[in-house]
Amino acid sequence: MSLPPDTAALAAPALPPETPVALAPVPSPTRLILRRGLRHSGFLIGAGILGLIVLAALAAPLIAPHDPYAQDVSRRLIPPVWQAKGTWDHVLGTDKLGRDYLSRLLYGGQISLLIGLSAALISGLIGTTLGLCAGYFGGWVDSVVSYIVTTRLAMPVVLVALAMAALVGGSLKVVVLVLGFLLWDRFAVVTRAATQQIRNQDFVSAARAAGLTDLRIIGQEILPNIMNALIVVATLEMAHAILLEAALSFLGLGVQPPLPSWGLMIAEGKQYMFFQPWVITIPGVALLLLVLAINLLGDGLRDITAPEARH
Amino acid sequence: MLAFTVRRVLVALAVAVTVSVASFLLLHLSGDLATAIAGPEATGPQIAQIRQDYGLDQPLLTQFLTWGWRALHLDFGNSFYFRERVIDLLAARLPITLYLGFIALAVALFVAIPLGVIAAVKRDTWIDRTALAVSVLGQAMPSFWFGLTLILIFSVNLRWLPVSGNATWKNFVLPAVALGYYAMPAVMRLTRNGMLEVLASDYVRTARAKGLPPRKILVRHALRNAVIPVIALAAVQFGFMLGGSIVIEAVFSLQGLGQLAWESIARNDFPVVQAIVLVLAMIYIGLTLAADLLNAFLDPRLRQS
Amino acid sequence: MPLRSLTRAAALAASLATLIAAHPALAGKADDTLVYASDSEPENVSPYHNSAREGVILARNCWDTLLWRDPEDGTYKPMLATAWTWADDTTLDLTIREGVVFHNGDPLGPEDVAFTFNYVLTPEARTVTRQNVDWMKSVEVTGPHTVRIHLKAPFPAALEYLAGPTPIFPAAYFKKVGLDGFAKAPVGSGPYRITKVDSGRGVSMERFDTYWAGSPLGKPKIGKLQFRVIPDGESRMAELMTGGVDWIWRVPSDQAEQLRAAPNITVLNSETMRVGFLQFDTLGRAKENSPLKDVRVRQAISYAIDRKAMVDNLVRGASRVMNALCFVDQFGCTDQGVMRYPYDPAKAKALLKDAGYGNGFEIDLGAYRERDYAEAVIGYLGAVGIKARLNYLRYAAFRDSLRAGKVSIGYQTWGSFSVLDVSAFDGVYFRGGEEDLTKDPQVIADLQEGDGSTDPETRKAAYAKALQRIAAQAYALPMFSYSTNYAFTSDLNFTAQPDEVPRFYAASWK
Repeated sequence: MSLPPDTAALAAPALPPETPVALAPVPSPTRLILRRGLRHSGFLIGAGILGLIVLAALAAPLIAPHDPYAQDVSRRLIPPVWQAKGTWDHVLGTDKLGRDYLSRLLYGGQISLLIGLSAALISGLIGTTLGLCAGYFGGWVDSVVSYIVTTRLAMPVVLVALAMAALVGGSLKVVVLVLGFLLWDRFAVVTRAATQQIRNQDFVSAARAAGLTDLRIIGQEILPNIMNALIVVATLEMAHAILLEAALSFLGLGVQPPLPSWGLMIAEGKQYMFFQPWVITIPGVALLLLVLAINLLGDGLRDITAPEARH
Repeated sequence: MLAFTVRRVLVALAVAVTVSVASFLLLHLSGDLATAIAGPEATGPQIAQIRQDYGLDQPLLTQFLTWGWRALHLDFGNSFYFRERVIDLLAARLPITLYLGFIALAVALFVAIPLGVIAAVKRDTWIDRTALAVSVLGQAMPSFWFGLTLILIFSVNLRWLPVSGNATWKNFVLPAVALGYYAMPAVMRLTRNGMLEVLASDYVRTARAKGLPPRKILVRHALRNAVIPVIALAAVQFGFMLGGSIVIEAVFSLQGLGQLAWESIARNDFPVVQAIVLVLAMIYIGLTLAADLLNAFLDPRLRQS
Repeated sequence: MPLRSLTRAAALAASLATLIAAHPALAGKADDTLVYASDSEPENVSPYHNSAREGVILARNCWDTLLWRDPEDGTYKPMLATAWTWADDTTLDLTIREGVVFHNGDPLGPEDVAFTFNYVLTPEARTVTRQNVDWMKSVEVTGPHTVRIHLKAPFPAALEYLAGPTPIFPAAYFKKVGLDGFAKAPVGSGPYRITKVDSGRGVSMERFDTYWAGSPLGKPKIGKLQFRVIPDGESRMAELMTGGVDWIWRVPSDQAEQLRAAPNITVLNSETMRVGFLQFDTLGRAKENSPLKDVRVRQAISYAIDRKAMVDNLVRGASRVMNALCFVDQFGCTDQGVMRYPYDPAKAKALLKDAGYGNGFEIDLGAYRERDYAEAVIGYLGAVGIKARLNYLRYAAFRDSLRAGKVSIGYQTWGSFSVLDVSAFDGVYFRGGEEDLTKDPQVIADLQEGDGSTDPETRKAAYAKALQRIAAQAYALPMFSYSTNYAFTSDLNFTAQPDEVPRFYAASWK
């Protein structure tokens, strides 16, 4: 059996379905991609914002004005500098426990990026392995993988993630693992489809005729050719993981305080949304920019590496 | 068609069995069931009695079969927290979530399909780009933030719609918009791509050459064909919405299945949690099965694979 | 598909249909319906089978007790019992009022009293807070209108308990429907009668028209009460602002100040009997080699937390720092001679170093309400090197895992069931019961002495000894008394009492 194509392409609700399956069999020359990239405004904006966020997060220990964990309840909820009672000592104000908001935002960037990257890495590893096997070997392997993917899709993600986090106890590690083990379906679907296309190409047949082992063919001939597609999926899943972490934190089972993940900061700021809206708006905008940048980057990458996939 | 149907149904059954094993294990991973059923005030002998009464001293496979047989009859046992049968709790909550899902889907389709069509017709204009931007932006916003913002604007400031609860249809408007918004981009993009494909196809070109009015071509020829995959997507999205409504229900205090699940997790009430996981998974399996069969019926090419 | 499943499916479809056609929820003066909202629901509406505050509210508005404590002067007045005398230290005779009926029309008599107490004393009844009842040995009917309560041992606080957490059930009805039936359709004899229990969603009540004349509670002025569960704090507030609910409480101070400025909303701050405290797993059940077994570590934690700053900045209102583990107005509660732990992080670090934890350690902290306060505690612990991991649960789940020995540090709060006697506080946590994480024989003995002596001075001395030992050993760290912010529509006349029981039967529309 094969995976129902529609289900496959539409694997995740929160993300665009047109994941690339039509791929150039031979990788485009790097220079061409670069030139296309420099002309693609979405890609440029996405890369720019993401670069800034990564830079700020990495440099957090150097540029953060305060210790992000140092609480002083007598200095709580100071508004940001542009509001009437703001001070330059706390540019973005302080949170409900008097911790410097800018410092928490910078360190929180590290955590949100870490969650996105590690979850995408884990799920990428699982999904790609399954997809490669299914696409390359076909037959019963394909059927088994498709069945695993269908089963995984049938499990309600948020609910299962919540239940697992509740059983093990929420923590950064648990969140990363749970998301990593839940979000691999799109990797599997895309890899499978791409591998199926490449499997019958001449250069693969040639490699097979030359007596290369399956493992080497997969590693040397197929994987490099589907890398572009994988990177695109990885960006999408990264964004997905970051948003899901925010949802888990909102429901109280994500990253645990006092760690400052952006999702948790939004969740904690919720209490102040009616009267001190900046508490939720600042991390909210940060998260929005991050996810937006990753999505733009992903969309851009797809356009650049496989322009014919987009109508 | 028959072979395809049989194959597809068999897969669905296999998946259903796997999912029920997973949800059975979820319950058993949650701790010692006898202690949980007995409650914190129970004594040692009481717990032992319950272990025996509930067959919790049997081998795991026997327990699974008993459990599975009961689950087939919609008997999921009793809630640890409320003194009620799990199925009664579910029956009270499922309609709310289904209703929310239906409206959310309607909202999503109602907005996304026209948007997708316009984006395709006005391809690469500012309309197309705006539609894309809206969809990208929407996906970057945490759903609870969007929901709370809707409350702030439409309930607190404008006073148009109620904040929480499920008393009237009005209560469902904001949560449905919040939930539907996240399904919109996928539907829109699929419609847009489908339209582009169909508009470029031979028979539309022929129709144009015959001089048929553009609107007629658009609706009668293009849209009808482009919308086929959207039906399948809608079914799948509906399944996802039921599972994903947990956050939205929490924000709007809409006491559906999602909120029941969330609270049951916080109450360590795992019989309820596993029943909800199972029910949602079964609904999803049923929906995708129906969608696949419908698709295969409409588009014979799909039966070959 | 079996027939049963089919009928269930049909029922489901039917409820879907009614849902769509449902009428709007009515709230407010115009409909004579007072809608009040809180974040959680009792796991069981039966007053003996939950220890949630929302359950206490239902109990006090829908069930009568034998005695009534006048909040004005603290004296006990007749309610369902018209007279009572102590035959001796362990025998209490009561005369039951005639002419009182339950909500279902059954007359209330001494059999109901005897049945209720004898039932809740059985292990099968699984009474949640046994402390409330287990001072009784048995109850017998001694005449057409009299009952006799036999005590296990002298218990001078008995009257206080009879005026609080010991409502009377209708014997015949309860026997007929059992606890499960009772939980779904409870019957009492109080000013309001429960018309519908909607698990996890709320409870509907209406004025009990044949409520007995002359009750000290008086006849309710508001026709209908509706309790709605709204877990999300912001949704609760938005509902109040838009008139969807009429009354909310436990509004965080930050928001309460802002709400005060809103038109049509009245905000009331009042101290409550509720005291927050950290309860330590001193026996090391939750974690192998738990650092909490070391008294120096527990003291270090006590020094590390700036409770004054929390009261001044986070809790605010009428709340006060507590040094002894009880509420100051409770009989027997005193912080005289009790060891104090002022905020002193340097001393905390030194103590930790002494105990061999110079580099700190990791520990779990369970909590179930006011997440902000728990997070502040975690922040303070972090400052002295202790990494606490928050495990935030619903109350019943938190309580159960604490009882099962799975919680290292419990952020507890206790409102003593509004009983103004220290036995209702420390008796629950330090007298060897299920929530006693210490089981210190000396404390248990002192508390037993305090509970069982008839001489008030002996009682006070015994309780003081227990409280001093709890503090010196840092078995628990009392944090502060809670103050609560009530916010309600300005159409409502509502006054708050420190016992944290909103008396809706006494409220009225303006």
